[in-house]
Amino acid sequence: MSDATGFFTDTTLCIGCKACEVACKQWNELPSDGFDFTGNSYDNTSELSGTTWRHVAFVEQMTVDQGGLHDRWLMSSDVCKHCTNAGCLEACPTGAIIRNEFDSVFIQPDICNGCGYCVASCPFGVVDVIERFDPEGVRYNLASLNEARREDNETALQGHGGVAGKCTLCYDRQKLGFVPACAKACPTESIQFGNVEQLRERARRRVETLTERGVQAQLYGADDVGGGVGPLNAFFLLTDRPEAYNLPAQPVLPSTRQPDGYAAAAVAVVGLAVAGWMIFRNA
Amino acid sequence: MHELTEPPGREDFTPTYYDRPLLKAPHWDNWNVITYLFLGGIMGGLGLIQLLTHGDDASERRLKRTARMTSFLLAAANPAILTSHLGRPERFLNMLRIVKFKSPMSLGVWGLVFYSGAAGANVVRELANSGSLPRWMRFFAPRILTPVQALLGAFTAGYTGVLLSATANPFWSSGKRHIPAVSVASGLSSACALSTLLSVLGGNDRVTHKLERLEMVASATEFAILAHFEQHAGTYGAPFFTGARGKKLRTYTIQAGILAPMALNLIGLLPLPKPVDATRAVIASVLTLVGGYILRESLVEAGKLSVRDPRTAFVQPT
Repeated sequence: MSDATGFFTDTTLCIGCKACEVACKQWNELPSDGFDFTGNSYDNTSELSGTTWRHVAFVEQMTVDQGGLHDRWLMSSDVCKHCTNAGCLEACPTGAIIRNEFDSVFIQPDICNGCGYCVASCPFGVVDVIERFDPEGVRYNLASLNEARREDNETALQGHGGVAGKCTLCYDRQKLGFVPACAKACPTESIQFGNVEQLRERARRRVETLTERGVQAQLYGADDVGGGVGPLNAFFLLTDRPEAYNLPAQPVLPSTRQPDGYAAAAVAVVGLAVAGWMIFRNA
Repeated sequence: MHELTEPPGREDFTPTYYDRPLLKAPHWDNWNVITYLFLGGIMGGLGLIQLLTHGDDASERRLKRTARMTSFLLAAANPAILTSHLGRPERFLNMLRIVKFKSPMSLGVWGLVFYSGAAGANVVRELANSGSLPRWMRFFAPRILTPVQALLGAFTAGYTGVLLSATANPFWSSGKRHIPAVSVASGLSSACALSTLLSVLGGNDRVTHKLERLEMVASATEFAILAHFEQHAGTYGAPFFTGARGKKLRTYTIQAGILAPMALNLIGLLPLPKPVDATRAVIASVLTLVGGYILRESLVEAGKLSVRDPRTAFVQPT
């Protein structure tokens, strides 16, 4: 059995308490998002960002037909998927983004140079660059670094633009043998942490149980999500289409487009070089 | 996996999450990323020009020298521009920790570094030939570096397109072939325009007609690729081809930057009085350069716009 760890987020158990968001912010010392009232149900966080690594989505669905009012309220705690083939990791030009011993995709903040290429390369829109660093505010997570490096990096960050940030799958807590903060805080075990293979097994049994009870449920990311991304180490049990939770139905790994891109560029180069050779042939 | 039925009455409806964007755009908000890509394209074109020009013709010899000098200056400027985007010089050095074949950004930076080396050596050769440096210094720049600079230049021009198209961005990824190809064509047309401009201003106007003919071929290619792209991009291409962004692309790149210079360069085939011809060449060159810059700006900005519509991110272009 592989040592890969991950999250199984069972959205049927989520009660939308946002304890995961708060626990994540507290443990990782991430700054607040400010207080923006969106009017989108109870979701005032809106999205994952460089400083928000768990985000609880609130999906309110109401329709009326002859049978009366149908309504339901879906809640789901979104997180970095820690893809088998991660777009951000492949795109990172500095090697700051690595796969660690727990098979998680981890950004080394002292190596990240803030280029932003991983942001464009994540098919799930998870990672973002923390642009403003508030010197008065809360310290940035530097989980794997010792205290001296941490101070260096804080000094470096101030006034010099930011680095990319996303869920570390609590690399530091895992190293100490602790459960990630969000999973620890979740009061309903909607967020389950553990060995990915065991979690997948548990998730499949959960779908069977729900199906027996007449609940339509599907797993998202327990198996290959397609497009070259592969299975996700953080996967979900959903009761609606992925789009309802702002998840892509068909994500694509960006690097799969490179051969076509380089080939098209090569064709253009050869064609134009031949034209140039013909024009410049005679002195 | 996704055949779950919708709530009653909503079977045909693709839900979004409060129309919130699914994907994120990079924070490439300043002039520097656009300029980096623009100059990368020009460097590629100059690499070809310094290869094509003949050493035994006095006028082309001067053009070769100009192309090499300019390409080296641009290759030296581009890391500085990239650094201005990253914030601190050490951050550029972090790019040189590793070589990653899967990352166009990594390969591109290495391409830029080696291009700088080849272009620098070729400048040394020029200076040694002209007596500004001791002749023995030509030892540092063997002839093989002429085609090597051209090859590295081709890569530098092409990767600026692959850098965009090999992302999850809906617009950029929908142009996985068009954007790299148009980057190469635009790079060459801009390089021809810059060389023409420098040649005319430097009084070396005998060689400009060859440059203008090559520029016409490159601009026509650029036009054809953009037209084909518009036909096939569908809704993914909307941020680039429609709205205010599309209007800017049409005005500055297609009309002023491609069609007008092509017309001016066609007029240049007629026998014109020398001052008129020089003015015409300068106007055509400046228009092409502005068009090339606006093309890069449009590519970057349209990509940032395209993430606003979550529906284009649900089913991502393969």
